[in-house]
Amino acid sequence: MSAGLAIEAKGLFKSFDGKPAVRGIDIAVPEGAIYGILGPNGAGKTTTLRMLLGIIEPDAGKRSLLGRDRPLEAAREVGYLPEERGLYPAMSTKEAIAFMGALRGLPLETGRKRAEILLRENGLGDYVDKPIKSLSKGMAQTIQLFGTIVHKPRLIVLDEPFSGLDAINQGRLEHMIRDEAAAGTTIIFSTHVIHHAERLCERIAIIAAGQIRFEGLVSEARERLRPQVRLKTRASEGKWRAALPADARFQDGHWDFELPKSGVEPLLKALMDGGAGIEELSVERRGLHDAFVAIAGEEAAREMESAELGEAA
Amino acid sequence: MSLFESVWVIARRDFVASVFSRFFVLFLLAPLLLLGFMIFFNIATNAQDRTATQPVVAIVADSATAEALVRTRERLAANTSEQTFPTLRIVQPAENVPAQARNLLADVAGNYSAVLSGTLDRPVLTGPRGASDFVGKRMQLLVEESRRTAALDGARATPATLQLDRVVTEQAVGSLHNSRRALAQGAQGLIFMITLMLATLLLSTLVEEKSNKIIEVLAASVPLDAIFLGKLIAMLGISLVGLALWVGMLGIGLTLFFQLLSDFVSLPQIDPAVGWPVFVVLLLLYYTANFMLLGALFLGIGAQASNIREIQTISMPVTMLQLMVLLLAITAVGSTGGMLFWTAHIFPFSSPMSMIAMAAQSPSLWPHLLALAWQALWVFIIIRLGARMFHRTVMKSSSGGSIFSFRRKAAAKR
Repeated sequence: MSAGLAIEAKGLFKSFDGKPAVRGIDIAVPEGAIYGILGPNGAGKTTTLRMLLGIIEPDAGKRSLLGRDRPLEAAREVGYLPEERGLYPAMSTKEAIAFMGALRGLPLETGRKRAEILLRENGLGDYVDKPIKSLSKGMAQTIQLFGTIVHKPRLIVLDEPFSGLDAINQGRLEHMIRDEAAAGTTIIFSTHVIHHAERLCERIAIIAAGQIRFEGLVSEARERLRPQVRLKTRASEGKWRAALPADARFQDGHWDFELPKSGVEPLLKALMDGGAGIEELSVERRGLHDAFVAIAGEEAAREMESAELGEAA
Repeated sequence: MSLFESVWVIARRDFVASVFSRFFVLFLLAPLLLLGFMIFFNIATNAQDRTATQPVVAIVADSATAEALVRTRERLAANTSEQTFPTLRIVQPAENVPAQARNLLADVAGNYSAVLSGTLDRPVLTGPRGASDFVGKRMQLLVEESRRTAALDGARATPATLQLDRVVTEQAVGSLHNSRRALAQGAQGLIFMITLMLATLLLSTLVEEKSNKIIEVLAASVPLDAIFLGKLIAMLGISLVGLALWVGMLGIGLTLFFQLLSDFVSLPQIDPAVGWPVFVVLLLLYYTANFMLLGALFLGIGAQASNIREIQTISMPVTMLQLMVLLLAITAVGSTGGMLFWTAHIFPFSSPMSMIAMAAQSPSLWPHLLALAWQALWVFIIIRLGARMFHRTVMKSSSGGSIFSFRRKAAAKR
C-alpha cells in the first residue's frame, strides 16, 4: 500500500447473480482526509464500502485498509455505520454503544463509561438506560453513530450517514465529522446529497453505474468546468459583441456564458474597447452539482435529485 | 481481536439477551408443561379405557350359572385388574335363546361384544372372533375356573386362602432392567427436546438479526466464523444453565417430597449402569455433541432464510428428520445388535442419543470414549460445513441470494 493512504483499492469488481454491481473501482483515501463517495442510488457505493471493509469479498481486484490486505485485521481501528441501521431493540442505549465498542475490542466497562459520556455530552443523558425500541428513528441513528466512534477509531466509514436525519441532526453530524477529522481521524462516507460532500470533503469519488467517473479533489472536479460570466451592458449592439462566445445566452437583460480560455483580462479589454458600457460583470466558479452533471451525466444527477427529494418528503 | 475474543463477545451478548428474555422463562417451564401434558394425556386415555373400550358380555343363563361366573370374575379381577376381564351383565333367558343372543348383539344401547348362554357344562359363546380373541379367551378362562370351583365345592375340598411370605429386596434384575430402559428413553427425550427448542430459537435470533440489519454491523467487526461459533456456544450455555436449574429444582423437590412422605413412599431405585456421576457427565457430553451437530446444521441452513416464514418452511422438514433420528435412537434401547442398533450408534446425528441409552443400560465405559471421539470428529466436520454455508449466504439473502430466491425471481418475472 502507498504510504499515507488509509484506504487503497485497485480494480475492485463485484457481481451479484451474474449482474455486475461494481466494475473496476480505484480509490485512494489519504490519512486524515474527509472523503466522499458520491453517486445515485444503485451506483455501487454500498457494495464498494462493503468490499473495502471485508464484509463481502470482491470477485477481482485488491484493497487495503489501514495498511492491511485483510480488512478485518484492522477492525479495532475502524468504525462503520451501515446504510441500513441495525441495533438490538431490547438493549439499552448505553449497552448498545458499549457492545458495538466491544465488537471492536474495547473492554465492555470502558465502553459503558464512554457511552455515558457521549450520551450526556450530546444532551441524551436521560436516555442512558432507555431501550433502543423506545427511541425515535433519528435518535436511534445517533446512538448507532456513537457506537461507531466509541472505540476511537483511526478510520470511520459512514454509509449514507445523513439519510433519515432532520436538518438539526444533519448539522450535528456534520459538526461531529469535522471534529473527528480535526483530531486526525480519516473519514469516508457515501452520499447521494451533493451539498454534504461539497461542504465536508476535500476529496471525492463520483460513481455511476458501478464505475468511478471522477476521483480527486473537490476543487479539481469544479475546475473541470469553465467559470460562468454574467454581464449587463448599456449598449445593446456594437463591436464588443464579437468578444462574446457563440453560445452566450441573453436572458432577463443579462448575458450568460462560459469564461473564454484566454481569461478575464482579454475579455474585459475587448468589451471596453468595443464600447459595451459595462454595468455589471461577475465571474463565478461552478458548483459541485454542475461538475457532477458534467462528469456523471444528467440522468445520474436527476436520480440523485429525486432520491434527495424523496427523502426530504 | 483474536477469533476467541470475537466468539466471546458474540456469545456473551446472545447469552445475556436470551437469559433475560421471556423465552428463557418458557424454556424453564417446558418440563412442567410437558409433565402436565403427559398427566392429562394419561388421565384422559385411562378414563376412555374404562368407559368406552371395556367389552361387555351378556350372560343369558340360569341364575346359578350366571352368579358363579360373576363371582369368579370378581375374585380374579381383584388380584389382577378390572381391565383384565370383560364386564359381565346378567340377562334373563327368553324362550328362543339363539334369537335372543342375536338381538342382544344388535342392541345399540346394550353395546355387547358377545353373549354367553347355556350352562357351565355346555356353555355357548355367540359373537364375532377378533384377531386376538380377547373375549373368547377370557370367557373360556372364567367358565373353566367356575367349573373347577364348583367341583371343589361339591367335593368339600376347597383349600384355605394362603398369604405369601414376602422377602423384600432392594433390586431385581428384571425391574432394574425396566427402570434403566425408562431412564434411557427419558434421557433421549430430554436431549431431543432441549435441542429442538434451542435450535429453533437459534434460527429465530439469526433471522431477527438479519431483519434488524444488525448482522452487517457484526460482519463488519468480527469474522463470520466468530458469529457462527458465538451463537452456537451461547445457546449451549443457555441450555446447560437450564439443565442445571431443572436438575437442581428436581433434586430439591424430590428430596423434600420423600423426606416429608418417608413413611408412606420410598425413593424408587433407578440406577444407571455406569453410575450416576458418570451418567450425568456423559449426559452433558452427549447433549453438547448433539446440540453442536444439530445447531451447526440449523444455523448453516437457516442463514439462507431472511424471514420467519422461510424459517418455518426450513424447520418443518428438518424437524421431521430429527424425529426420524429420535426413532432410530429409540430402537437402540434394549437391543444388543443388528443393523438398526449399529446404524443408530454410528450415524452421527443419532449417535449421542443412542449412546446415552447405552450408558443407562450397560456398564462398559470404553464404547463411550470411542463414541465421543467419533462425535467430536463429526462436530468439527459439521461446524466447518455449517460455517461455510453461513459464510456464503448470510450476507446475501437480502439481495436475493437465498435458496428461496428462485421463487422471488419467478414472482418478479410474473
